[in-house]
Amino acid sequence: MPDSQNLLDVRGLKVHFPIEKGIIFKRVAGWVRAVDGVDFSIKKGEALGLVGESGCGKSTTAMAVAQLQTATAGQVFLEGRDLASLSAKDLRAARKDFQLVFQDPYSSLDPRQKAQDIIAEPLRIFAKNGLITMDEAAIQRESLSLMDRCGLSASFATRYPHEFSGGQRQRIGIARALALGPKLIIADEPVSALDVSIQSQILNLLKDLQKDFDLTFLFIAHDLAVIEYFCTRIAVMYLGRIVEITDAATMARNPLHPYTKALLSAVPLPDPRKERSRRRIILKGDVPSPSIEYKGCPFRERCPQAMEKCALSPPSLMQAEEGHQVSCFLYGGA
Amino acid sequence: MSEESILRVEGLVTQFSTDRGLVKAVDGISFDLHRGETLGIVGESGSGKSVTNLSILRLVQSPPGNIAAGKVLFQGQDLLQASEEEVRLLRGKNISMIFQDPLTSLNPVLKVSMQIAEAIQLHHGLGRKPAKAKAVEMMKLIGIPDAERRADDYPHQFSGGMRQRIMIAMALSCNPDILIADEPTTALDVTIQAQILELIKSLSAKDKTAVILITHDLGVVAGMCDTVCVMYAGRIVERAPVDELFYDPKHPYTRGLLDSIPSVDLSGPDRLYSIPGAPPNLIDLPDACPFAPRCSRVMEVCTKATPPETVLDTATSRSVRCWLHTKENQNA
Ligand SMILES: Nc1ncnc2c1ncn2[C@@H]1O[C@H](COP(=O)(O)OP(=O)(O)OP(=O)(O)O)[C@@H](O)[C@H]1O
Ligand SMILES: Nc1ncnc2c1ncn2[C@@H]1O[C@H](COP(=O)(O)OP(=O)(O)OP(=O)(O)O)[C@@H](O)[C@H]1O
Ligand SMILES: [Mg+2]
Ligand SMILES: [Mg+2]
Repeated sequence: MPDSQNLLDVRGLKVHFPIEKGIIFKRVAGWVRAVDGVDFSIKKGEALGLVGESGCGKSTTAMAVAQLQTATAGQVFLEGRDLASLSAKDLRAARKDFQLVFQDPYSSLDPRQKAQDIIAEPLRIFAKNGLITMDEAAIQRESLSLMDRCGLSASFATRYPHEFSGGQRQRIGIARALALGPKLIIADEPVSALDVSIQSQILNLLKDLQKDFDLTFLFIAHDLAVIEYFCTRIAVMYLGRIVEITDAATMARNPLHPYTKALLSAVPLPDPRKERSRRRIILKGDVPSPSIEYKGCPFRERCPQAMEKCALSPPSLMQAEEGHQVSCFLYGGA
Repeated sequence: MSEESILRVEGLVTQFSTDRGLVKAVDGISFDLHRGETLGIVGESGSGKSVTNLSILRLVQSPPGNIAAGKVLFQGQDLLQASEEEVRLLRGKNISMIFQDPLTSLNPVLKVSMQIAEAIQLHHGLGRKPAKAKAVEMMKLIGIPDAERRADDYPHQFSGGMRQRIMIAMALSCNPDILIADEPTTALDVTIQAQILELIKSLSAKDKTAVILITHDLGVVAGMCDTVCVMYAGRIVERAPVDELFYDPKHPYTRGLLDSIPSVDLSGPDRLYSIPGAPPNLIDLPDACPFAPRCSRVMEVCTKATPPETVLDTATSRSVRCWLHTKENQNA
């Protein structure tokens, strides 16, 4: 049963997409196991970072947590409530508590709406459905104050998305996500499309907002430096599963899973001397396909430390040390 | 660099005419590229990195674009004066480019192995069969899973990251003299990125291919480049050998950029440094340093005149465009 300290508990989450074959008689020829048994929890006020290679299932996990993608199996508990068990009406009301911020601020903003209206939209919808009591004047005031809080001057209120830079558009997306006073922000690559100097502005803003609004984050990024800066805990995903999870400092100091080690060793460091002297673990072999059901450990073929038993059965996530879980036979298991 | 210069860009100016006015995307850029050298180009989004390189290959769409001035000397020949036909022959064979947006640069109705093989056939004079075999081999080299089976797939059947890698395979398969790579690994995760950068590096070492690498990732620059150009508002504001750029940046913008990077070792401060303000509008740039409104070390002169390029070291052609470093101010 979910722990009361946790804001979010994800249990055995699976999302499988059917691969359809045939033009007239459609049949399911296989499954893409995008998310294949994921468990994690996030404590109130914590930021959990999710990393892993392209296609490993990070966005699908985020969408399933946000109830925008139906799970094939498993549960998502927010403050102990199983979100999938809520009625459509209750789920709509519960959405106030969790909001998404996307990677591409351009395609996620309605191009025909002005900045202030984009930010005010969730308030208007909730007010209209009687889920909050706010009149239009209050909504106007609130959306302007959100713009101000996110570093957008009031003179921007009547501009359209295409008139903003990438960093400013991301600020609009963040202001909108904050409108309903959420507890959990699910941020899917919120700074990946921005260049370094804008990225640092947005990360600072998110940190400030986290303090001021007491926010909890599920934060997806492929840049480990960004994750380590922003997050208190880190989960590494590989082919639809979490292969290692621990606090940020431990992950940096003592990574255990061979994939995590390769990932960390591959992060380019902005320091030419360190770059020249370091040893990189360059992975060989094929990137695995999520449509194949692996008998053993799915990382086995690229793993520099693969053993015989890795081919026989998949390892499961186990405690390697206090607060540090890893799914690898090097650290025990059958 | 003791190697001979293979590409020299002189006073390149590229503009776009828009409803709001003339956008000076590239405003007087000069640099030399040597055989075997990897030159990094960094700078804020919109500073003209892509347009500079599209101009070199004469791929700027006109209208609205127009290369208004300058020379692009490849082995002594000015590409800006060459015929369409001559430039087309050079592209791919002598100078290959990996584009920032791989979706638009693959042919959607051609199997990917055929696209790679076509490039190989054209430039190596190989027959169909061996060209296709080499194409599959390239696909393996860049880490496409199941390369043999996937060779007959079409571009839309691959993920964004895979399409990016197919573009890279095409560009590398022709053994070009110069490889221009515009954000080649941005869509990829770090382990694949490491694999591909290693490939580019070995190519550059083995065949003395010169590389122009455009990237936002200063870590990639540190690991790959010999020399770095920093661009701001259509100009090169600093050029330096890679170590000097990282350990002794001269331009306040370069400094700001380096200070903005979050560090992986968790020893950094709780807040990241960030350069205040936003980049300038490239229409009607005043006669002043375009970075002045955001600069922490701004002086009166910075808002009154454009800083000239000051060469700090002729041997390495280290230079900076900043009033703090002009000859007069150095002596003062
Ligand atoms: N609607 C869908 N139908 C079929 N397959 C899908 C669908 N959405 C995602 N997938 C597949 O599921 C897998 C996981 O995709 P997902 O977008 O979650 O990856 P990701 O970790 O977010 O990757 P990236 O870093 O590239 O954003 C991929 O193999 C993808 O092709
Ligand atoms: N077709 C066009 N019409 C008008 N302006 C253009 C056009 N193409 C580019 N520009 C402008 O030229 C400037 C330089 O663009 P460029 O694509 O070279 O930037 P960049 O440095 O490559 O940026 P990024 O890092 O985002 O790729 C930008 O201000 C851009 O708006
Ligand atoms: Mg994703
Ligand atoms: Mg570009």
